[in-house]
Amino acid sequence: MATGQPGASSGLDRFDRTRVTVAVGPLVGPVLARVVGIHAARADLPLDRLNDAVLVADAIAARAPAFAMDERLPVSVQSGAGRLELRIGPLRPGGGRLVIEGAALPNVGSVIERLADTVRVRDGGGGGEYLVIRIDATLEPEAER
Amino acid sequence: MPMPVPELEITLPARAENVAVIRHVLGGVGDVLALHPEVLCDVKLAVSEACANAVVHAYAEGQPGLLDVELSTSPEQLEIVVRDHGRGMMPRADSPGLGVGLPLMAGLSESLELTNRSDGGTEVRMCFATREPGVPLAAPGRAGSGR
Repeated sequence: MATGQPGASSGLDRFDRTRVTVAVGPLVGPVLARVVGIHAARADLPLDRLNDAVLVADAIAARAPAFAMDERLPVSVQSGAGRLELRIGPLRPGGGRLVIEGAALPNVGSVIERLADTVRVRDGGGGGEYLVIRIDATLEPEAER
Repeated sequence: MPMPVPELEITLPARAENVAVIRHVLGGVGDVLALHPEVLCDVKLAVSEACANAVVHAYAEGQPGLLDVELSTSPEQLEIVVRDHGRGMMPRADSPGLGVGLPLMAGLSESLELTNRSDGGTEVRMCFATREPGVPLAAPGRAGSGR
């Protein structure tokens, strides 16, 4: 599990990200799925990986609100050619790992870890943490990750 | 009725392709709120127009900028604020638009408020009635009368 300031190593430009803050409640799932889906399409992810990205968004929508601060879930999305990065948080301390573990299925493991290329929890400072998930056009075999 | 803290806030680059992101998200909001298709259509069109105005007019050619969209709901109303951080509203002799945007937004929404923000940029605040078109607001004191 990597730690560090969110975004510090990824060279992200604030004019190149979509930031969504949604109140914990019924809007979380539909909004996240749509934002992630449209960015995955824009990133030219193949259909199977686009579906994977939306599944990851659904898993986040189901688990992350329980660890949101102030009853609001912030998520930022950045897409580039063949890749998509989601940054969820700040979440309450320990929330990042619990979101990942909470998305586990029997005999499958965490859906998030299985479908994403990289999953990291980063310290956000100020007592919060960020779950950072990257989905590429091609999922690397697990042994190579 | 005062609106609470926005239930949804989106900040994204003020680029043409991102108007589609907002429209797509509004579709999801419409599903959750069970908006009548006609109302949702009006909301999408008016908000798209406000976002497109921000994309086209707010920032100088080649200058990057951001577009904020906030959404709040109350039992009978949907309030959407579209905000940019650009140069504010000003007459443009070279405007590429037809000039129908503001009348369109005014016609589709229950109320429309445009503000030149003191810290720069423009804010468009629109309210939409979430009830089915043609259904009047319940008269105060008449609810539960059994009729």
